[in-house]
Amino acid sequence: MDGSVGPMRVLVTGGSGLVGRAIERVVKEGEGREGEKWIFLSSKEANLVSAEETRAAFEKHRPTHVIHLAAMVGGLYRNMRQNLDFWRNNVHINDNVLNMSHEFGVVKVVSCLSTCVFPDKTTYPIDETMMHNGAPHDSNYGYAYAKRMIDVHNRALFQQYGRKYTAVIPTNMFGAHDNFNIEDGHVMPGLIHKTYLAKKEGKPLQVWGSGRALRQFIYSLDLARLFVWVLREYDEVEPIILSVGEEDELTVKDAVDAVVEGFGFKGEVIYDTSKSDGQIKKTANNAKLRKYLPDFKFTPFKQAVKETCDWFAANYDSARK
Amino acid sequence: MNGSAGSVGPMRVLVTGGSGLVGRAIEHVIKEESGAREEETWIFLSSKDANLMSAEETRAVFQKHRPTHVIHLAAMVGGLFRNMRQNLDFWRNNVFINDNVLQAAHEFDVVKVVSCLSTCIFPDKTTYPIDETMIHSGPPHETNFGYAYAKRMIDVQNRALFQQYGRRYTAVIPTNVFGPHDNFNIENGHVLPGLIHKTYLAKKEGKPLQVWGSGRALRQFIYSLDLARLFLWVLREYDEVEPIILSVGEEDEVSIKFAADAVVEALGFEGDVIFDTSKADGQFKKTASNAKLRKYLPDFEFTPFRAAIKETCDWFVANYDSARK
Repeated sequence: MDGSVGPMRVLVTGGSGLVGRAIERVVKEGEGREGEKWIFLSSKEANLVSAEETRAAFEKHRPTHVIHLAAMVGGLYRNMRQNLDFWRNNVHINDNVLNMSHEFGVVKVVSCLSTCVFPDKTTYPIDETMMHNGAPHDSNYGYAYAKRMIDVHNRALFQQYGRKYTAVIPTNMFGAHDNFNIEDGHVMPGLIHKTYLAKKEGKPLQVWGSGRALRQFIYSLDLARLFVWVLREYDEVEPIILSVGEEDELTVKDAVDAVVEGFGFKGEVIYDTSKSDGQIKKTANNAKLRKYLPDFKFTPFKQAVKETCDWFAANYDSARK
Repeated sequence: MNGSAGSVGPMRVLVTGGSGLVGRAIEHVIKEESGAREEETWIFLSSKDANLMSAEETRAVFQKHRPTHVIHLAAMVGGLFRNMRQNLDFWRNNVFINDNVLQAAHEFDVVKVVSCLSTCIFPDKTTYPIDETMIHSGPPHETNFGYAYAKRMIDVQNRALFQQYGRRYTAVIPTNVFGPHDNFNIENGHVLPGLIHKTYLAKKEGKPLQVWGSGRALRQFIYSLDLARLFLWVLREYDEVEPIILSVGEEDEVSIKFAADAVVEALGFEGDVIFDTSKADGQFKKTASNAKLRKYLPDFEFTPFRAAIKETCDWFVANYDSARK
């Protein structure tokens, strides 16, 4: 496939975010190939909610491939308040990117879904065939439906034009360059920021929720390596779950303990059970990934958490928060 | 905020897709059956007036007419075979139309929008009868997933508008609609107008009537004039955000063969009727429960099926030259 269009020109939307920065790092440190060009787009360069600005970005960069990460994202609480904005803005972003890719003859687009868009009422573990089998959790249905519609759009592009655009489904990601905002961030970066402050201020660590919710966490650098593999080798339109196995599912309390250890925090840890847990579990099956890549090694959790905590402490001033 | 005229002055109702099957039926009820109330303004929009796939043109229309209420019927629609070939277009064009109308309505402070869904968007694998709570419970039929998801997302956007802004925009879910002013195109039309057109031609040309599919698929049919009367009731009285199925009851579900027989009788066709089983039936059944409608309107009377077919066939014969086909 490289042969027919010359070397790959890969446009990464959302390039300055958690996953985008991880891809940038792994491409620089060995995953990139000679003659390839990787362009990391951020919202400063183009507002992808606008069709005109998206078109301008495609005209400027003329990509052959796209990794589409850009989205309006937020943690549990922001989603609960703004379902309309999460629905509309993400539908516009996704339609603009997929439609421009199609118009500009992009060979392949790999978009980014999430296990949080799966049906709320379901059996476990969830797998790639189950995404549309029922309504998503009520807390983030705007975001969830917008993401699901990427898969609908991909299938329709394939049915009408033979395009093989696809998507990945990561579980909970974490790593350097995340959004560490406590109000709006996700569980891991929120915990990291709160523990850092608790240690600095000599106060207890307040964890929202009971700590009993279960998650599979994937380190951003591992996800990035898998993203590049999907771009190069994965040929299906149906999406693929990118995650550690079911055996590596952890409680939020396990994550808290790892962060506390990562910072050497010695104060009290309090669980505020008046705050929502969100979905209690979202166990995903990574059998499809393991069928393709039986030997892929994920970074051990405690090590990945330590690296992320160290990065946060070293980059506190400039970190997004 | 209620839907009555008092708080905003008299109702100004904008009907998108106003020149289509349902739009014309609503217009008929408004004009011929005294459906409108005093000082109400009803504006029937067609694609000639505005291309609703464009946000700018949609906004211009709202700017011009300043509606207080909207009945949103406009969509890219087609029969089974066109949907199967063009899922992307059905998905994208309808998402744009719906987002433009709902967003403009919100920005222009429209009190209420009643959009139009369909039982064909419901999950393919499901128990029967289907009801209003089941729209999102599974993937739709493969043949028209683009159209189906676009329509389902109207309900998602309505709920999100309510959650974030308290807007009470809602939707109705008719079963198979038929009547005058339909699209009678045989390739792209729906089952009843297709049958009517084909029977008319078969009679005229002295040929057999070829029906696509086995004839065994089951449908609940609703006459456009009945649907229009119910649409007006929903606009004025129905206060929920959750959509409502508008249909005859389960006991009035009929086979395609039964419908073909009614058309043959209405047009006085005496030739052979052949069922081409090599053609798809589409979904075998889509039985919908109208219990919610009956809870609100226990006494509503639907036009008897054969009478409605006869009226539609008579209209088609009298208007053959100008009918959409």
